[in-house]
Amino acid sequence: MAFESGILEQGLGAADEAALHRNEPPPGWLLEAIGAHRVRAVLAPLAVLVVVLVGWQSLCESGAVSPLILPSPLAIAEAFIKDGPNLLAAATVTTIEALTGFVLGNILGFVLAVAFLYSELSRRTVYPLAMAAQAVPIVAVTPALILWFGNGMAPKIFVTMFLVFFPMLVNALRGLRNADTEVMELLYTLSATPLQQLRMVRMPASVPFVFNALKISACACFVAAIVAEWVAADRGIGYLIVLYGSQYRMPQVWAAVLIGTAISMAVYGLVVFAEARVAPWLNRRKRPISD
Amino acid sequence: MASQPGESGLSIRDVGMVYRRGEQVTTALVGCSLEIPEGNWASLIGASGCGKSTLLRILADIVRPTSGTALVGGVTPAEARAARTFALVSQQSTMLPWRKILANVELGLEVAGVDKVERKRRAEEAIELVGLKGFEQAFPSELSGGMRQRAAIARALTLKPRFLLMDEPFGALDEITREKLNFELLRILKETSATLLLVTHSISEAIILSDTVAVMSPRPGRISHVVDIGFGHERTGAMRDDPQFGAYESELRHALHGPAGAPRPMATPSPSHALA
Repeated sequence: MAFESGILEQGLGAADEAALHRNEPPPGWLLEAIGAHRVRAVLAPLAVLVVVLVGWQSLCESGAVSPLILPSPLAIAEAFIKDGPNLLAAATVTTIEALTGFVLGNILGFVLAVAFLYSELSRRTVYPLAMAAQAVPIVAVTPALILWFGNGMAPKIFVTMFLVFFPMLVNALRGLRNADTEVMELLYTLSATPLQQLRMVRMPASVPFVFNALKISACACFVAAIVAEWVAADRGIGYLIVLYGSQYRMPQVWAAVLIGTAISMAVYGLVVFAEARVAPWLNRRKRPISD
Repeated sequence: MASQPGESGLSIRDVGMVYRRGEQVTTALVGCSLEIPEGNWASLIGASGCGKSTLLRILADIVRPTSGTALVGGVTPAEARAARTFALVSQQSTMLPWRKILANVELGLEVAGVDKVERKRRAEEAIELVGLKGFEQAFPSELSGGMRQRAAIARALTLKPRFLLMDEPFGALDEITREKLNFELLRILKETSATLLLVTHSISEAIILSDTVAVMSPRPGRISHVVDIGFGHERTGAMRDDPQFGAYESELRHALHGPAGAPRPMATPSPSHALA
């Protein structure tokens, strides 16, 4: 029994480390959007971007690289203009799939974490299954999912949910258990009910952990939806990438990739923004006012 | 002010506490008895490890004694906790970091199901009483240790507890802040007429804040000496210059460390570790 829980702890540790690595400070453009200060933080990466784009364009124009291998930035921009409506319609579909999976998966992960917190039995029985589920190469199972759920959004949402729920489960469980012993003792002497303890202490204590999970899955949910679309779909960014790829329309493929990137970055930005709003105590300056 | 011992005050009768860990048995408390009539102020003083916090935590229903009885206002600690007749203030000034000071002070009332308007009114009243007015909207991390401790005391006062159980409430503070808060606590105690049991390791703090000081000695923890402080409840900073203050101080110091000149029992082999 002790051996088993040791494995569980290790699983937690590894996932948390992943969370730490991905929990980088918000990108520069977001700071600009929020505070309109630290303009340099935005301008510097922008300058680098311009240099890269100019270099890329001249490389393509020199004829050293075939446009099939790497289309020029201008060609991609042209693809945007020509196929804009198609790309936007596809992006809308993929966004709906990704965000539906994101919301449902995270809710499932959090609810499971709360259940595990209060029921040792459910933790012992369901947690190993959840971990095993995480090990299933879900993308490889997608053909079967399409047989079960049809060719529409359902299988894509399912794949996304599947990839999203586990980071939330692991992080939320750790966060809910992160409640300070002193604080729990205080609630105990105040005769707080278990529900009050959950609402007033455990849930707020888990907020930083929950946002770590949300940040991980904000981008992962788009990857999941797009990859699921590759297998079988008649719309969406993943579908367009496969279609354009088969027609060797590389600028359009890249345009589709870029639009997917832009949207998932926007979702990541929203998560960071929400964290600042939901958890202001994490960002306040820790400068004590003296007596 | 004082009533029948044990009827409505704090009562500890022959309380013992034994911890078992495998083969090893540790006696933390043995035969502790203390009566604190309602409205009185008492202190438990002793070296760390003498079990004074354990005694307080027994009254707060956090741990159960292995023998003897503890009564809070004539009922068991568990009943007193359910009725919210006591409030506990710990050294760490436990605050919920995600709540602003006002919401932290409201916590007890919120748990007790008091409605929002009344909650705010009583919390603001308590905040004013501890001198924290103007800091309602600050987060705990933005306040100093002394101010957080005032907030913790305000939170304890909102439920109008008959009993205040304080576990080294000023232990983490500097001497100057500590003494200032000692006298503010005196003023608050007079206004609320609560019964106080204070755990401290400061002799002067014990004298300033008590009618009765119980000295505890370690291994096994027991109450070895009780000193009555005859200063009444009208106390000012001038009490420190009273020759009687010095007399209490030296009596307590001797009770804690043994008489001057006598060998101090340091690092004696613990008799409390015995095989079961």
